[in-house]
Amino acid sequence: MQREVGTLPLAPALRARLVAAGFQTAQELLETGPCGLSKEIGISKEEALEVLQLVRQECQGDATRSAGGSGATRKCTALELLEEEQTQGFIITFCSALDNILGGGVQLTKITEICGAPGVGKTQLCMQLAVDVQIPECFGGVAGEAVFIDTEGSFMVDRVVDIATACVQHCQLIAEAHQEADHLKALESFSLESILSHIYYFRCRDYTELLAQVYLLPDFLAEHSKVRLVVIDGIAFPFRHDFEDLSLRTRLLNGLAQQLIITANDHRAAVVLTNQMTTRIGQNQSTLVPALGESWGHAATVRLIFHWDESQSLMASEMCSLQLSLRRQKGLK
Amino acid sequence: MVVLRAGLCPGLGEEMLHLLRANGIRTVVDFVSSDLEDVAQKCSLSYKALVAVRRVLLAQFSAFPANGADLYEELKSTTAILPTGIPSLDQLLDSGLYTGEVTELMGAPGSGKTQVCLGIAATMSLSLKHRVLFLDSTGGLTASRLYQMLQARVEDEEEQATLQRIQVVRVFDIYEMLSALQELRDCLSQQVLSSVGPLKIVIIDSVSAVIYPLLGGKQSEGLAIMMQLARELKSLAREFSLTVVVTNQVTRDSSTGPLKPALGRSWSFVPSTRVLLESKEATWEKASTQRVASLAKSPRQPTGIQVELNIGDVDVQEPSPVTPT
Repeated sequence: MQREVGTLPLAPALRARLVAAGFQTAQELLETGPCGLSKEIGISKEEALEVLQLVRQECQGDATRSAGGSGATRKCTALELLEEEQTQGFIITFCSALDNILGGGVQLTKITEICGAPGVGKTQLCMQLAVDVQIPECFGGVAGEAVFIDTEGSFMVDRVVDIATACVQHCQLIAEAHQEADHLKALESFSLESILSHIYYFRCRDYTELLAQVYLLPDFLAEHSKVRLVVIDGIAFPFRHDFEDLSLRTRLLNGLAQQLIITANDHRAAVVLTNQMTTRIGQNQSTLVPALGESWGHAATVRLIFHWDESQSLMASEMCSLQLSLRRQKGLK
Repeated sequence: MVVLRAGLCPGLGEEMLHLLRANGIRTVVDFVSSDLEDVAQKCSLSYKALVAVRRVLLAQFSAFPANGADLYEELKSTTAILPTGIPSLDQLLDSGLYTGEVTELMGAPGSGKTQVCLGIAATMSLSLKHRVLFLDSTGGLTASRLYQMLQARVEDEEEQATLQRIQVVRVFDIYEMLSALQELRDCLSQQVLSSVGPLKIVIIDSVSAVIYPLLGGKQSEGLAIMMQLARELKSLAREFSLTVVVTNQVTRDSSTGPLKPALGRSWSFVPSTRVLLESKEATWEKASTQRVASLAKSPRQPTGIQVELNIGDVDVQEPSPVTPT
């Protein structure tokens, strides 16, 4: 009840007026009542009533939380968190080297960022993940659906068909080798049509559409609760051209990152983003670094950077190193 | 700025309040700073009554001065220095994290801030048997990594108890963070005695993730909320003798400028100690767990000291807590 007025989520103009009128804690606001409040600050009675309702809600939320109720907060001990993580699956990528450095695959409830030069295979990897997330649990997958948000228009359905067919064949081979009943049953629902129908595709042409899509995602995910993967292919593209106000860009990107992590956490989904590379010109050399600046680097929990190995040919090998990882850091040669 | 209300002190009745309001005196500050003879004439109130009310209000609301010696004695008995579990970092921080202060770890992505925070949480819970409150705003906390850190040091049952002492709250929004801090304050002020252990440390990873979406653009209210958060953290640290560890990002002015801490100049006054973490190698091509920590701001040590630490194998030792002599 001793919550300060400045910490309540009110509109800034209203907050300024309340502080100027001398109110300091939520308790004082509630004691004044709506009529007194509207007189003292000069707002209408309905607005005063709304404000008091909001304050009451916040304080009640605090009270239930401190009394031990869990409410809507994401509060737990590290032990419970560990148990949750151990039962969570990974989305495998079908490339064992990659799965190895990721610690088993793409983790759920975390943001993974894939950076690389053009043509290195970022969209391919995203399409592969959109198919892999649907692998049934008995084959080691998470049996989820995928949301694919495309900003660059590089999503090729024919390629997804190829990947999906290969995946189904792979699972069929496993089923034949093991001959278990649940494997065969799962295979019945795991077909090309079902895979394609469970990838929800959105096309966003500029940053406003992208922001709108991401902020509306929780409602979409509430209806489609089986979604376990959200891919945003090309997060850098809408933000890199046509932005004069860089501080606005940082603000929007950070808001986007927070919204994505909230979505990932609440719906137990993995969020995969792809980013471009840009050149940083140093004093005597230039290096390729991920685009969108330093502050964007903190948005992702896991960052994969793909680059070409000088000696090998284009298609044959990809060397990738994990820049940011919570669990381990290894360069894979 | 407390608003004058009837019953705030004996002698302040409803009619007196109305008369004062009619003359523009609404808050305690207005009352105490106005000329009482003038007020007595304008509001036709008795001068004696006004002086009595002023005396009571001053006694109630003014801050009590303390002398340096008493302050020193108080600090000696209430401050503790908590070891971080990383000897080189302890050396940098002048033997550990001081309670009653806010310490900041800053660094570029991948520099090891979250790893160091996890190491500190593990040490506090394991060696000192303290409860830890970890506010996670980036989703970067992986309990499996904590488990990995503890596994090398201790047997199974103790691991479970240790993990139970670390409480994780995931807050992804500034208001959620403020609610969580308010809840902590309520919990501590009611002095809920817990069988699990005392709470002496709050780790916030990271504070810039929740504030960045509010700053920038043309709005200045982001700064106001940031300062509210700063005030809340410092008052929690001081009132309940906690140590608050926060992590912050670094940014550049231009694409070739030097790295500087994020959140600007206003935030730079909030932490008493600032440590910058950097990778030893310049590029990410060679993976390594070596990091360099340098002291950017400290009330006790000269700035610019650098130490090396290895975040791969954060050494969760069994040191005893050091209290100042």
